[in-house]
Amino acid sequence: MSQTTPLLKVSNLKKTFPVRGGIFGKKVGEITAVDDVTFSVKKGETLGIVGESGCGKSTTGRTVLRLYEPDSGQVEFEGKSLLALGDEEMRRARKDLQMIFQDPFASLNPRQKVAEILEEPLIVHKMGDAKERKAQVQELLRVVGLDKSHAGRYPHQFSGGQRQRIGIARALSTRPKLIVADEPVSALDVSIQSQVLNLMADLQEQFELTYLFISHDLSVVKHISDRVGVMYLGRMVELADRDELYRQPLHPYTQALLSAVPVPDPEVKKERIILQGDVPSPADPPKGCAFHPRCPHVMEICKVERPAFADQGGGHFVACHLMDRS
Amino acid sequence: MAQPVLEISQLKLHFFTDKGRVKAVDGVDLAVHEGEIVGLVGESGCGKSVTSLAVMGLIPQPPGKVVAGTIRFQGKDLTKASPREMRRIRGNEMAMIFQEPMTSLNPLFSIGNQLVEAIRTHRSCSKQEAKNMALEMLKKVGISRSGILDEYPHQLSGGMRQRVMIAMAMVLNPRLLIADEPTTALDVTIQAQILDLMKALNQEFGTAILLITHDLGVVAEMCDRVVVMYAGQVVEETDRRRLFRNPKHPYTQGLLKSIPKLEEQKKRLYSIPGQVPNPLGMPKGCRFAPRCEFAFDVCGRAEPQLLPVEDGHLSRCWLHQEREEGRGHEPDHAIAQSQ
Repeated sequence: MSQTTPLLKVSNLKKTFPVRGGIFGKKVGEITAVDDVTFSVKKGETLGIVGESGCGKSTTGRTVLRLYEPDSGQVEFEGKSLLALGDEEMRRARKDLQMIFQDPFASLNPRQKVAEILEEPLIVHKMGDAKERKAQVQELLRVVGLDKSHAGRYPHQFSGGQRQRIGIARALSTRPKLIVADEPVSALDVSIQSQVLNLMADLQEQFELTYLFISHDLSVVKHISDRVGVMYLGRMVELADRDELYRQPLHPYTQALLSAVPVPDPEVKKERIILQGDVPSPADPPKGCAFHPRCPHVMEICKVERPAFADQGGGHFVACHLMDRS
Repeated sequence: MAQPVLEISQLKLHFFTDKGRVKAVDGVDLAVHEGEIVGLVGESGCGKSVTSLAVMGLIPQPPGKVVAGTIRFQGKDLTKASPREMRRIRGNEMAMIFQEPMTSLNPLFSIGNQLVEAIRTHRSCSKQEAKNMALEMLKKVGISRSGILDEYPHQLSGGMRQRVMIAMAMVLNPRLLIADEPTTALDVTIQAQILDLMKALNQEFGTAILLITHDLGVVAEMCDRVVVMYAGQVVEETDRRRLFRNPKHPYTQGLLKSIPKLEEQKKRLYSIPGQVPNPLGMPKGCRFAPRCEFAFDVCGRAEPQLLPVEDGHLSRCWLHQEREEGRGHEPDHAIAQSQ
């Protein structure tokens, strides 16, 4: 992890979606899903991104892989810009960039057998002949803890946890360097969730994978990540080493978020910060700091000026005007 | 102790499907007393939601059928109540909130319309009186703008919709509130608001709450007593403190060990091997035995009973029962019982 160039470098990423209305579907507004987001991921590490629904964490993951085209900003993978690639080059680059989706029901083709699902990426990327591919499929099944005999079955014959293993096997099939995992365990029960998290950790070690791990579950993100970024209303508000972030959150939103997580221990008494109100609509975000209408420490400057996302020392980035005062 | 508000005993609710009989709830005992918050915990398919829907009389019959047991609500057996009687109780003395606040409100009617309808179904009062009651209750759940009665569900956020659902459930001051995963669809900061609100209402009105959840964190914050279900049966029941400090059943222990926690950092999580059994083919003997690291010969043969391990702490496991009878000794009476 001592390399100087990060595996993935995202700078000032911005993605907006048009809001259409009226009978002619004219553009009547704009939702800024990702707004000026900057971060980097080192080789072999796991960067967790947390945030509540609608904060733009999934859009960030998809935009990084160019499943959505960003409006502006830069995405560099191994020092090369992904955004400059043409369609064909991008298709080839995807060999190194894979994704695991949240819903193990919707992300597998119900008409394909498991063997076909796992073989398809190999065919697309022209990896090996038929015999090698078959061996590779069996190896993938073994790696994710499924049985060889499962190759001939269809997705509906598996449980949720097994299906997520198939999704992971498919992501692994092209031997990628970076995997974007979007809520990979959110649809699973706790006893199955821990199996999948352990599997992901084992695979990371075995294949030197780098994860961009997106989740709303702060405990899960803490468990698996080396560094964690917190998003609110399309913006990254805090980014730090895992232990640092959870021990000493600096942004008021991160503090509230962490204090709101119910602790499975009745004897732990926490001071809970209850935030007032709801997350504002991303179609009409508040001026200045997006969090100011709910912030317990709001100041005048917060209502007019957007705080810079600045390093407070040791790679602990925070976007908050309170930092300027201390 | 006073008579419980809700007392379920030996409830068996089975579904008769083309593929066979699904024993969704298979011999469940459960009691909720006045002012108490009881947590019903378990993973998907363990029968926790079916149990709560059975109490409300919301299981379509067929294919579902109460095969045995009773559900006593304030002393009255609901399994024998007529649909007319159920309608009178439901929404009045007993109310329910659901996981999905979007699908449980009618999108075609305004919030005021739906609340007034709920009130006027059970109380004879004028529309204006009902409106006033609705507004007052909405204030209690933290929605104080008066225009709310004319708004429609799609205009509200998830947290707001769940507040409206709680207001609708609580407006007639029910004795029992059943909350089925009330915060699962919500974000953590909104979840904290809703849990706070439910606790405050429980204290203010003394409403008994049956809280169904898969989130052990929510249980630790909310519940007085906890009932853990696995594969249609109760496997452990105790107070909140003992459940987290000294869980007895291997399933509960495994569940507690497998959740990642904010305060500690482990390289690997514990995980319960295997998966929940197929409801059409439950394993013989203890239903958890195939996944249990402590399983021994008896577990695969005979079904353990839910018995007290200590005062107020029940567990369905041969480990405790064996120990008392001397390990290795064949519990013949238990085999006879389970047949």
